[in-house]
Amino acid sequence: MRELLGGIGLAVAGLAGGVAVGSAFVALLIVLDVVPRLVQLTRAYRRSAVFESALLLGTLYWSSADLFRWVTPLPRLSLLLPSALSGIFVGMMAAALTEVLNVIPIFAKRLGLDRFLFALLIAMVLGKMAGSIVDWLLLQPK
Amino acid sequence: MDQTIYLRLRRRIVVPPEAEITLGDVAVLETGPALKERLASLPLLRVKPADGSLLVIDMLLIVRKIREAWPDAVVETFGEPHVLVEVADGGKVKPRRALLVVAWLVLFFGSGMTIINFHADVDMPEVQKRITELMTGKREWHPWLFQIPYSLGLGLGMLLFFNRLFRRRLNDEPNPLEVEMFMYQENVNHYVITEEYRKQHDAEGGRRRA
Repeated sequence: MRELLGGIGLAVAGLAGGVAVGSAFVALLIVLDVVPRLVQLTRAYRRSAVFESALLLGTLYWSSADLFRWVTPLPRLSLLLPSALSGIFVGMMAAALTEVLNVIPIFAKRLGLDRFLFALLIAMVLGKMAGSIVDWLLLQPK
Repeated sequence: MDQTIYLRLRRRIVVPPEAEITLGDVAVLETGPALKERLASLPLLRVKPADGSLLVIDMLLIVRKIREAWPDAVVETFGEPHVLVEVADGGKVKPRRALLVVAWLVLFFGSGMTIINFHADVDMPEVQKRITELMTGKREWHPWLFQIPYSLGLGLGMLLFFNRLFRRRLNDEPNPLEVEMFMYQENVNHYVITEEYRKQHDAEGGRRRA
């Protein structure tokens, strides 16, 4: 009896934790405007179901793969696609975050650098790429 | 005969390249039946390749054109004073399929990595074992009883947020993603219209548009 109650309590706690994390995760992505930007790029207006399914399936599959150790025996080269894609995703998140915080427009306005906005953006992009490569190839322990 | 013309402009229209835009394309009209058809086919302007893919038709231009054709007409207008015209092949905005596939994959792998990042960041496996231990008194190596409902809850939480689950039955409200997409589009429209007005104003000295 005690065993059963403990089990049920655990399942309820798990479900509640999942709901909290899932909705918070989506809320963050939506606040950052990542999806609306993708909609504009792909011109897929009124097709939010496509983007929702990608987020939902991606989160569910990878969360389960992580927790339940679902291992697929794919060749090493197949890593190239997901690595580039998740790089794009993180890049979009990072760019969206600076945009939400209005870092660059304020910076440019205060210093009177409006005309060099594009150069500033490129500087940030190159800096992030250089930082990432230096970090992975030189600084991280082998 | 009453010559009052009531018209309300549409917000946004899509036309094929080099189309001739008529009043009926950009506005909803209400006036006497005889005048209505002739008004609807009143040409406003022809899209030129130099106009780019977005242009704005201003209410002033429309009023000017109507007064040229019917000098004694009275024009009453409602709604926004401008229409955003988008030029696209075939007069329809088509989704870019290949990019859509890439975007889907970006979101699939990206959200997957982000959730694993989060789990690693907060040491989720250890937390799950700890909760299992605190609630049942036993420390299981693989607390699946927690993990399976957690994974279900994760999907449930996202679906609830997207407002997909009870949508048909409970309400017609748009989901937050759709609202955000709408707001984004509104902001873009606002920017384009302001920018087009500025360009027209700049060009005013040389040649007049229309």
